[in-house]
Amino acid sequence: MIKNIIEVNKLERIYSNGIVKTYALKDVSLSIKPGEFVAIMGPSGSGKSTLLHQLGLLDTPTNGSIIIDNEDVSKLTDKQKTTFRLEKLGYVFQSYNLLPELNVIENVFLTSMAKGLDPKEYNLRAKDILEKVGLKDRLYYYPSELSGGQQQRVSIARALVNKPKILFADEPTANLDSDSSQDIIDLFKKLNKEINQTIVMVTHELEEGKKADRIIWIKDGILDKSVKV
Amino acid sequence: MNKKDIKLMFFLAYKNIIKSKSTFIVIVAVMAMSFLSITFFSAIIDGLSYEFEESMIDGQTGHLMIEPSNEESFIFNSDRLEKNISKIPGVIGVSSRLESNILITYKNEELGAPVFFIDPIDEQKVSNFHESLIEGSFLSYKDTSEIIIGSDLLEQYAPIDDTKKRFNLRIGDNIILTFNNGYKKEYKIKGIFKTGSKFNDDKILINKEEYFSIFNKEDISHKILVKLPSRGLEKEYIQKIEALGIIEQINPWETKIGMIKQFVGSLQITNQITGFIGLLTAFATIYIIIFINVTNKRKQIGILKAIGIKKKIILGSYIIQSFIYGFVGVIFGNIIMQILLALLASYPLSMPIGDVVPLLTIGKLLTTSFILILASIVAGFFPSRKASNDNILDAIFGG
Ligand SMILES: Nc1ncnc2c1ncn2[C@@H]1O[C@H](COP(=O)(O)OP(=O)(O)OP(=O)(O)O)[C@@H](O)[C@H]1O
Ligand SMILES: [Mg+2]
Repeated sequence: MIKNIIEVNKLERIYSNGIVKTYALKDVSLSIKPGEFVAIMGPSGSGKSTLLHQLGLLDTPTNGSIIIDNEDVSKLTDKQKTTFRLEKLGYVFQSYNLLPELNVIENVFLTSMAKGLDPKEYNLRAKDILEKVGLKDRLYYYPSELSGGQQQRVSIARALVNKPKILFADEPTANLDSDSSQDIIDLFKKLNKEINQTIVMVTHELEEGKKADRIIWIKDGILDKSVKV
Repeated sequence: MNKKDIKLMFFLAYKNIIKSKSTFIVIVAVMAMSFLSITFFSAIIDGLSYEFEESMIDGQTGHLMIEPSNEESFIFNSDRLEKNISKIPGVIGVSSRLESNILITYKNEELGAPVFFIDPIDEQKVSNFHESLIEGSFLSYKDTSEIIIGSDLLEQYAPIDDTKKRFNLRIGDNIILTFNNGYKKEYKIKGIFKTGSKFNDDKILINKEEYFSIFNKEDISHKILVKLPSRGLEKEYIQKIEALGIIEQINPWETKIGMIKQFVGSLQITNQITGFIGLLTAFATIYIIIFINVTNKRKQIGILKAIGIKKKIILGSYIIQSFIYGFVGVIFGNIIMQILLALLASYPLSMPIGDVVPLLTIGKLLTTSFILILASIVAGFFPSRKASNDNILDAIFGG
């Protein structure tokens, strides 16, 4: 049996603004295997993003534990989490979140640069991955000069450049037209197949969810069911 | 902090600045203006102070002033003393004076005025009266019935709105002077001078020989003025003169300009206060601009953190940016300032006391530059630290 890449145990995330307490996540336990392509689905406000943020170390759960790649990440300091994100995780956001001051290739190689690769190597890597996402003729464009779909592909390239253990994506197609959406999901599928990339993706579209290996359904912050596609 | 972190900091700072040129230009312009506003005003004040002092040195005190010893009202054997002092290497000029008050009578009008009895030749080496003639010519050693008169005693040179009583005199007119021993004599106006300083322009200059004949004295003086190559050498020359074995008092000009000293002192205090306020204003302005700039970058900072860029790298890149704003601003400020100074050196500001050339010491330039650069670093530090400590999700998604 393969070891899980993610193991979540009794995860809880409460938002409290003084008086009101919102249970965004309640007693969530789940596990994800390396190389798995998992979709997280559920109604709006059910806690999908919240879950992804906990798994992606962008937020701190109020309770429970998360083990990623054999490391109990709930125990890490902020600084260690930053390094962990750099070394092992990649993110694709709904609104791309590219850095407007950097051109395409710079956006992509930034994290490789941060890891200390030499310029030759990070340029090569960035070009490589940008070619994979079909943007090799847009290397020196700035984000503002690209379409939404192109920007999202840049952000996927950025997420993948350091060969992360897990790629997280929160509704990566929500801002795109159906053709571009199709492209992105196909790209995910391809990456999952070809390089065995573990992907955890939040989506609203059942069509997209069906492309994954498994759909984790979530409702009112509670795990509803986990369905193999 | 290692090399790759520093490289990344500079990379991010560089890209940020390059991609927001207008922000860069605005901040640099504000920095440069702040620099100018702080240094320029203070340079004018310093130039003004300098000019005040210079007019006193030129007209009244020389660099050194030798005065009678405590018990005496005259310096005796003045000629020999002058000769000995003028032999000291480096001394530019030595001249003795006698001073008195006289009564001027012209037609039906009378007016009191201070007189300097001078040696027409020696005087030219220590004071600037001969260079300040606006009409006529200076006294020669033979001129015993001629005088030189200051413009402040004359109606035609009176400032507008000044109602002080003055004479309507021209070159060549005759006036009668009554000395304080009662002696009266008619003199012809040979020259009119205007130094620009009220402290000098109310004087009348008469050949020293006249004093000797009117008061029946010889080889005495009230003051011996010594002109040195420049300011700052007073102590050194006082020692040299003392070494001649003289019993008279030797005073540097600073101790002889009482009123002016107070005035300049007040100006300097004003200068320090406005300088300080200027710095505060500059600091506040820079702080606000950089603060807004960094606050606008909140989302970018959040993204950087999310993808795994260390906080100190982000902070460092913003501090570098602030430093560059400060540095470039100060450089521009310095360049503009130097151009202004060069312009004003060739075309001095004409002020009532005379031409004023702004004075700026390297020390002041450096301090102001340093403080402004520091201010921009501090202004960059706090907001960026706050932004880089922000919750990642709040920063990215707003909250
Ligand atoms: N910063 C926050 N402060 C307070 N409550 C929050 C915060 N973020 C999320 N919530 C609450 O947590 C719950 C889950 O939110 P979450 O964003 O995870 O939903 P979601 O499943 O991603 O919804 P959507 O499909 O609309 O993106 C919601 O009730 C939401 O109001
Ligand atoms: Mg969501």
